[in-house]
Order: sequence, then C-alpha cells, then structure tokens
Amino acid sequence: MKKYLTVLLAVFFLAPVYAGTVSAAEEDTQLLQQIDRNMNPESYESYRKLINIEPDGRKKEFILYTVKKDADKVASLFLEPASEKGRSTLRLGDNMWLYIPNVGKPVRITSLQSVVGGVFNNADIMQLDYAAEYTVEKKEEQGGEVLLHLKARTRTVSYDRVRLRADTKTLLPTKIECLTEGLMLIKTLYFKEVKDFGGGIVRPSVIETDSPLYKGYKSVMIMAKIKQREFKDEVFTMTFMPNIDSLREAAK
Amino acid sequence: MKDRHCFWWLCALFLLFAPAPAWSAEDYSFDLSETEKQPFYLGGYTEFSPEISSADKGAALYRLKHYNHDEAVLADAYAFKLQLEGSYEKGMARLFTRINVNGGYAFDEWSDEANVYEGYLSLKPSSSLVLEAGKKTLRWGKGYAWNPVAFLDRPKNPDDPELSLEGIVVASADYTRSFSGPLQTLSFTPVLIPVYDSFNDDFGRADHLNVAGKVYLLFYDTDIDFIVLSGASKTSRYGADFSRNITPSFEVHGEVARIDDYQKKAIDSLGQISVTEYDAFSYLLGLRYLTENDVTTIVEYYHDDTGYEAKEMAGYFSFIDHAYNTYLSTGNEMLLAKATVASESGVGRMNPMRDYLYARISQKEPFDLLYFTPAITCIMNLQDSSFSLSPEVIYTGITNMEVRLKANIIQGEDASEYGEKPNDYLVELRVRYFF
Repeated sequence: MKKYLTVLLAVFFLAPVYAGTVSAAEEDTQLLQQIDRNMNPESYESYRKLINIEPDGRKKEFILYTVKKDADKVASLFLEPASEKGRSTLRLGDNMWLYIPNVGKPVRITSLQSVVGGVFNNADIMQLDYAAEYTVEKKEEQGGEVLLHLKARTRTVSYDRVRLRADTKTLLPTKIECLTEGLMLIKTLYFKEVKDFGGGIVRPSVIETDSPLYKGYKSVMIMAKIKQREFKDEVFTMTFMPNIDSLREAAK
Repeated sequence: MKDRHCFWWLCALFLLFAPAPAWSAEDYSFDLSETEKQPFYLGGYTEFSPEISSADKGAALYRLKHYNHDEAVLADAYAFKLQLEGSYEKGMARLFTRINVNGGYAFDEWSDEANVYEGYLSLKPSSSLVLEAGKKTLRWGKGYAWNPVAFLDRPKNPDDPELSLEGIVVASADYTRSFSGPLQTLSFTPVLIPVYDSFNDDFGRADHLNVAGKVYLLFYDTDIDFIVLSGASKTSRYGADFSRNITPSFEVHGEVARIDDYQKKAIDSLGQISVTEYDAFSYLLGLRYLTENDVTTIVEYYHDDTGYEAKEMAGYFSFIDHAYNTYLSTGNEMLLAKATVASESGVGRMNPMRDYLYARISQKEPFDLLYFTPAITCIMNLQDSSFSLSPEVIYTGITNMEVRLKANIIQGEDASEYGEKPNDYLVELRVRYFF
C-alpha cells in the first residue's frame, strides 16, 4: 500500500514538471520552425549568387536558380558560369543527385561534397528547413539574441551539431556555427543585410561563411528574387532534372 | 619539327601556369539582369590537347594501324575540338542541338570531322510528361565506366567516361508520378527507334521500327530501373540497375543485362572467322566512397559476357602478326585488311574481353589547394592481368577554363589486351574553355 502511495505521489508531483518540459521543447521547436519560415516560405523559388573568395582576393562566381517544396525537396540549376551552366542538383530528404548535361544522366552525390568547391558544401546549397533536420537541445538568451543548440535528428545530416543565433525581435538568424559531434567547428555562417524581398519576405540577403578547415578562404551567398511559388511533386524527381530551366519565367 | 613541339607545349604550359588576374575584394553585387531567361541559348566549349606518346612498335595493334608508316618511337599529336550547344524555347516547346567538331594533327596528317551529337524537339505539357523526338543520348545505366544496360547508347570510353556521346534518332516520352511512402517516384520511358537507310543505319538490321522502355522507381531511397529493348534490328535485350546510398558517403550500384541469341564473331590465328550464338548475361557491381577529407574512390567490377576469352584474343593478335609478316615479305596488305574488318566486328572495341576492374581515386582540393583535383585511375583486365594506369591533375580555378594534365601508362605481357595496344605510355594536356 505504501509503495502504491509513493508512486501516486511521485506521479502527482512530477507530471507537471514533465508536462512543462514537453511544453518547453515544443516551444523551442516552434521557435526553430518560425526562424525557418522567416527565412523562406515553405515552397518558393529564388536566385542566388555564390562567390568563392581565395586568400589572394581571386573570386569565382556561380549563379543558381533554386526551387523548394515542403520540408525536404530542393532542386537547383546552375545558370553561370558557362562551365557549369545546365548542371542541376536535386535533394529529396537524404537523397541527392547531380545532373551534368555532358554526362547526360543524374548521379548520386553526398551532402558533404561540394559541387561548387570552396566553403559551401552540397547541404549548404540545398539547405532544408533546420527544423526538419535538427532538434533543439537547449535555448539561451544572450544580449538581444536567442542561441539555439541544435542536434541532428539522424546520422545522415551533414553537421552533427549546430549553434544558431537569431535576433529575438525579428527571429532572423545572425550567425550559425556548424560543428562535429565532438563540438569541433566546421564552419560559421554570418547572416547580413536584411532586405525586403516583397510578398512579406524580409530576411538577410547576404550569407558569408568561413571555415577553420579552409584558412583564408571565404564564400558568400547573395539572395535575389525570393518568391513564394507552388510546384508539383514531379518537379522534384530525377527524371525532371534536365528540365528545371523550364520552370523559370522568360524575360518580358 | 622540334621547334613546333616546343611552341605548342609552351603555349599549353603558359595557359596552365599563367598567373591569373588578381581581382580585388569588393562589395558583393548581384545584377538581376544576370538572372533573366532568354529564349535563345548558345554555348559550349573549345578544347586544345597536345599529346606525346611512346609507340610500342612490336605490339599487334600498332602494326595493324601503322604498318605502312615509319614513325619515330616518340610521336606527338594535337587535337582541337569545338562543342557547340544551342537551344530555343517557346512555351512548352524547346529545340536543342549539340554539335561536335574535331580536328587533329597526328603522324604528319590533318584530320577533321563534324557530327550532330544531339538535335531534338522537346515538349513539356506538364511537369509529369516530357515528349521528345530527334537525335539524342539516353545514357541508361548506373555504372561509371561501363553500362551493360545502355542498349540504346554508343559505348563510352571508360578512360574518359564523362565525354559527350553521339546519340541515336528516337521518339520518346517520360511520364513521372510522385508518391508519399516507400515508393517516392515512378517513371515510365517508352522509346521508338526507327532503323532505316537514313536513320540509325549503324544500330542494327535496317527497315525496322524497334521499341524500348524503361521503368524507374525511387523505392526505399534506392534508384531502380527495369529496361527492355525489342525489335527486329537487334536481338531482344533485358536489363535492370540500381543505385543506393548505404550511408551519406557510401554508394553502391549495379547493372545486369541479358542479350538473347548474341552472335560473337571471332578470328583465329589462321584468319578463320567463326560465329558463336548464345544468350549473354553481363553484369556490373560498383561502389563510390567519399572520405571526410574529400577523397572519392570509385571501384567497379564488370563481367561482359559478350567479350572474348584470352585464347580468342591471342588468336587474333597472332593473326595480325602473321598478316604483318606477310606484308613485310610480300607487300600484300590483304590479310591486314581482313584483320581490320575483324576488329570492326567486335574484337577491336575499347575493352573486348570479359572481366575488368576499374578503380579511380581522386581528392578534391588537397592541402587547401582550391580547385585542384588530382586523381589516379586503373583499368585492369582480370583475365590477362594487363592494365592501364592514368594519373592526372585537373585545375578549375580560372573561370570557364578547365586544365587537365594526364598520363596513361599501359602495361601487359605479349598477347594480352593492354600489352598489344599501340602505345606504352602517353601524356596529354587538355585545355578546355567554356563560353
């Protein structure tokens, strides 16, 4: 009898604590989802310029057209330079493919590779929602910023740990550190120049990145023409990869 | 002659090592006009590749190719290439063409040829349906170096598998559906292949319309294709392939192909031609592994059931030697011409035997050297242990330019596949400029 009573008392006192924990975890997840939505609509199209900058100041630039749908479908098409034109990448959850027009068929690639060289890897270029890939382990508030400690949901995610800093008022990221499981820094992303893209999309337009693994090198991503747009699921298939350019609207 | 060699090599080396302009860091800008889509597109690349090779004058294939030339052991050759691509898009329709122009200078002779590699009309009534008609490559199969299921493509060069290929004239459709659940994508690709005097006359027997089809599934995160070719131009062929990432950095792939009633033509040491008919079952198994420091390893094993046994190849090489000796003693080229015809019927193809191993190791940007990719590739004939070994380095640091320096070391005993190739080694510099 005494034993049952102890259990009942324990449940009575611990249940609210547990419920509070669940509720805090849900809140943190909702916060991360909100940060994702502030960065992009769930389905959208955009143009990006990637610039790889070498220590001596030399630059190599790429222009990409990107489409995204739901939490796990992203496809990109290279528009510039001429050596990369027509290449396309597709990400469906953990599956990634690269299509090279000369080769004529998509081949599987991995998130850790980089189709552009430089500091950005394929996962950075075909970024899914953070909430789709990470759970929030801990939340801290520091001087007008919220710091989320994120942990990869599965081992297939390219960074085991992520530290995401966001402005508490705008809930837009200011800095993201990508780390290994042993908390070794792989790269840092800096979010700059908040811009109104129209359609209610206000977000940083420049993302800079550097990495202790590439000392002196820097890569920059400039966003343009981010627009909410719906696509059919069939756009995000291997068969459609040679035809991504047909989604772009012709100049008027 | 020597001065000319020096000039071309100096030009090429200048392009390779010339200091690139040092751009100054500036504010980042993104001119939106760069994103505007134009209905017309014209692009492509030009390529210049000087090459030095060391002849193996005792090799059967050297004697067959150069029996009437008196060449130096060290020979140089220069190749020029222009690949031109153009398209015009209006609404759901798109016209595309890829033209390949090759020129070259080797053994004191100039050569040139131009081919339409692809030229087709594409209609996209919806994102689920694409209709295409014209000359195009289909590139079926998951293998990197070989594709036994590529029933509709010309064979690719395993030494340079990413080169563009000349297509065939087809009418095809791609119908795709996406689903949620273990089956994420299902595509069906029916293809019609007309073989007439003016269409695909090198595909097979003329005056027939052939049918092929491919069903593609993305099922449990695995790419799977089922392929069939049927018609009177060639005997029926069936195939399947798959590709899957076991882990994010470890991919496995494979192909199986069956050719009904395959006819293999062989030539023996006396020049007697025999034909054997059987059902050929070929297969390929491969993997691609990426390490944390960006080293990519590709390994493939290929069993080509349409290939020749070692004794059949030895008979062919022996016949070439006999034909060459006859030519030397009598001046009669007839037997060499017969050997050349036999080569074209199969025994002279890129990898004519049955069991091969392909291994390629490349490292992207080692020692923080951005845009440098060194690699080494080995193709080994497992029947006679002959092989080719190709170290190379690729540099892509200059916008729209790709520079590759590649050597090819060819080793093998007498009467082995690589032992009887025309060269012992060659070194090639390839400078490609995209526009």
